[in-house]
Amino acid sequence: MDSHPTDRDSDQVLEVDGVSKHYGAVRALQEMTFAVRPGELFGFVGANGAGKTTTMRIVLGVLAADAGEVRLDGRPIDAARRRRIGYMPEERGLYPRMAVGEQLRYLAELHGLSAAEARAAATRWTERLGVAERVGEEVQKLSLGNQQRVQLAAALVHEPDVLVLDEPFSGLDPVAVDVMSEVLRERADAGAPVVFSSHQLELVERLCDRVGIVRDGTMVVEGGVDELRAGSGSVVVHAPDAPAGWADAVPGVTASHLEHGRTVVALAPDSDDQALLRAALATGPVHEFTRRRPSLAELFRETVTGRDAA
Amino acid sequence: MRTILLITRREYLARVRGRAFVVSTAVILLILVGYSLFVGSLSGAGDSGTSRIAVAAETEAITPALRTAADDQGRIVQVLPVPDAAAGLALVTSGDADASLSGPPTRPRVDVDRSLGGGTGSVVTVATSLVAQQQLLPDPAAADAAVAAAEPVVVAARPEDPASGLRIGLGAFGAFLLFFSIQTYGAMVAQGVVEEKSSRVVEIVLATVRPWQLLLGKVLGLGAVGLTQLVILGGVGLAVAGSAGLLVAGAGLVPTLVSVLVWYLIGFTLYATVYAALGSLVSRQEDTQSVLTPVSIVVLIGFVAGFNLIISAPESTALAVLSLVPPWTPLILPARIAVGDVPVWQVALGFVLTLAFTAFVLWLGGRIYARSVLRTGARVSWRDALTGR
Repeated sequence: MDSHPTDRDSDQVLEVDGVSKHYGAVRALQEMTFAVRPGELFGFVGANGAGKTTTMRIVLGVLAADAGEVRLDGRPIDAARRRRIGYMPEERGLYPRMAVGEQLRYLAELHGLSAAEARAAATRWTERLGVAERVGEEVQKLSLGNQQRVQLAAALVHEPDVLVLDEPFSGLDPVAVDVMSEVLRERADAGAPVVFSSHQLELVERLCDRVGIVRDGTMVVEGGVDELRAGSGSVVVHAPDAPAGWADAVPGVTASHLEHGRTVVALAPDSDDQALLRAALATGPVHEFTRRRPSLAELFRETVTGRDAA
Repeated sequence: MRTILLITRREYLARVRGRAFVVSTAVILLILVGYSLFVGSLSGAGDSGTSRIAVAAETEAITPALRTAADDQGRIVQVLPVPDAAAGLALVTSGDADASLSGPPTRPRVDVDRSLGGGTGSVVTVATSLVAQQQLLPDPAAADAAVAAAEPVVVAARPEDPASGLRIGLGAFGAFLLFFSIQTYGAMVAQGVVEEKSSRVVEIVLATVRPWQLLLGKVLGLGAVGLTQLVILGGVGLAVAGSAGLLVAGAGLVPTLVSVLVWYLIGFTLYATVYAALGSLVSRQEDTQSVLTPVSIVVLIGFVAGFNLIISAPESTALAVLSLVPPWTPLILPARIAVGDVPVWQVALGFVLTLAFTAFVLWLGGRIYARSVLRTGARVSWRDALTGR
C-alpha cells in the first residue's frame, strides 16, 4: 500500500512557494508554502477563512498571487500544465441546463481531450460514479447527491495528472464518500499529487499521507500524519502516591497538569521519557505510563486556537 | 484556438436548440410582415380615388373613353381641357393635375411629375385601348392590332428611381434587424455571463481557459446565433419581396446585404462586449436588467431616431451626423448606405471611428470582465471593476 508506482510520466511535485495575496487591506495569504509529492495524498485543513480556497484558486490560476510562485515539477505552472489539473471548486457549479454527458464531454474537450477521448471518458466516469443512466438529463433536474457525483466526474473526466479539490467530501452521502476516497487513493497510487481540503478531520487522518494546517494564511504545521501525532506527544502517568508538581523538576518537561487523577506531562521534543518514568517510580507505584498520541482533531484545535503546537 | 471554437460551439448549440430562438424568429417575422402590411395600407390610402387629367386639344377624342374607363374602375376622373402639351405640363408641375395627355389619342404622350400612379395609369391605359377600338370598329382584325399597339408613353418631369422605395425598405429592414439582433443577442451574452456566475460554473471553466477566451467564445457563439437568425429572416424577407415582384435589378441588393452583414458583425461585437462586461458585474439574473438598461436606452435612441429619419428624411444632415457617432454607426450607417448616396469619406470615417471605438470597448470590456467575473455576491462597483485586482 505504501509503495507508490512511479512508472507514469506524471510524477511531478506540486510546490506552492511563498505565495501571498491581499484583498484590499485584508491579508488572505502570507508566504503560504508547501509541497505535494507524486503519489501523495495531502490533506489541507484550517478554519474557515484561513486561506485554503484562496490557495487553491491561485494554484489553478483563477486568482493571481501578489507574490510567490506555484511550480509543477520544478517549473512555474502555466496555462498548458494547469489543464492537466483536476479541480473541484468550493462553490460547486455546472451549466444547469446542459445535459450531464454533453457537459462532461465539453469540459473534457476544454481540457484538451479529443472528441472521441472525451466521449469515452464521460462514459467511463458516469458509470464509475453511478450516474450513467442520467447522461441525457439536464444537470438542474438531478438530485443534489447526483449533482455532486457529476461534479466529481467533471474534475476527473480529463484524466488529470494532479488533483486539487476544495472540500470534495462536503455534501456527499456515505456511499459517495467511499467512492470519492477510493478514487483519490487510486489517483495518488497512480502517481498524481493529490491535495484536498476538508473539515472532516477523521477522514483526513485516515486517508492522507501528509497534512498541512493553515492559520491566517500561513502554513503552521506540515508533516506526515503519524509524525505530527507523535511529535506533539505528551505522556499520561498514573502514580497515585505522587505529590502535586512531582514531574516539574524532571529534565525535558515543559508542563504538567492533573486530569482525572492522572498527570499529563508535556515533554520537549527529543527528551528522554525514561527519565520521567524513573522520577515517577521514585514517588511510589506507577499503574499507567502511556505516550498519548493526539488525534488530528486535537492537533488541529491546538494549532488553530494559537497554542504553540511544537 | 480550439478552446475558443469549443466555447463558441457550446454557446451556439445551447441557444439554437432552445425554444427562445425559434419563438423569437417567428415573432420577428410576424412583426416584419405586419409592419409591411401597415406601410402598404398607408401608401394605398394616399390615393384619393380621383384622377385629375389635363387633355390637350389634339387629344380631345380620348375624353369620353377616360370617363368610361374611370366609371368601370370606380374612380372619379376630372378632365381639364388645355390648349396644348405645354399648358398641360404646367398644370402637372404645379401639382394641379396628376397627368397631362397630348399627341395622338391612341398613343398619347403622358406627362407626369414623378410617376404615373397605379389608379390614374390604368384609367389612361384602358382609355387608350378603348379609343383604338372605337376608331377601327368595322375591321375587327385591324382593331385588335391597333389595340395591341395603343399605349400611353409616359414621360416623367422628375423621373423617379424605380428602386428607391425598395432601397429605403432594405435600409429600414437592415436597421431593424441590426437593432433587434444586438438587443436580443447582446442581452443573451449578458445573461450567459450571469448564468455562469450564478451557477459558479465559471470557476471550473476559468481553471482551464483565460477570461478573454471565454468572453470571445461567448460573443462569437451568440453572434453566430444572431447571424443565423439574420440569414433566415433576410432570406424569408427577400423571398417574400421577390415573389411580390418588389425586387428590381439595380436596387443595390448585393452591396446592401454585404454592408448589413459587415455592420452586424462590428455592431454585435461592440455591443455584446459591452453587455458581457456589464453582466459580469452582477451575480444574479434579477440584477442583469438594471445594469443593461442604460446601454439599451442608448441603442434604442439611435435606432428610433435613425429609423424614422431613414424613412422621412434620408438625406438630412441630422441623420448623417447621427450615423457617424460610433455607438450608433452600426445601427444607422448601413441603412443610409442602402438608401444610397453616402459620400465615400463618410463611410470610411464611420468605419474607422467604429472600429477604433470597438477596439477600445474590447480592451476595456475584457478588463472589466476578467476582474469581475469571479466576484460573486454584491454588485461589483465600477471602481473595483476598473482598478481592482
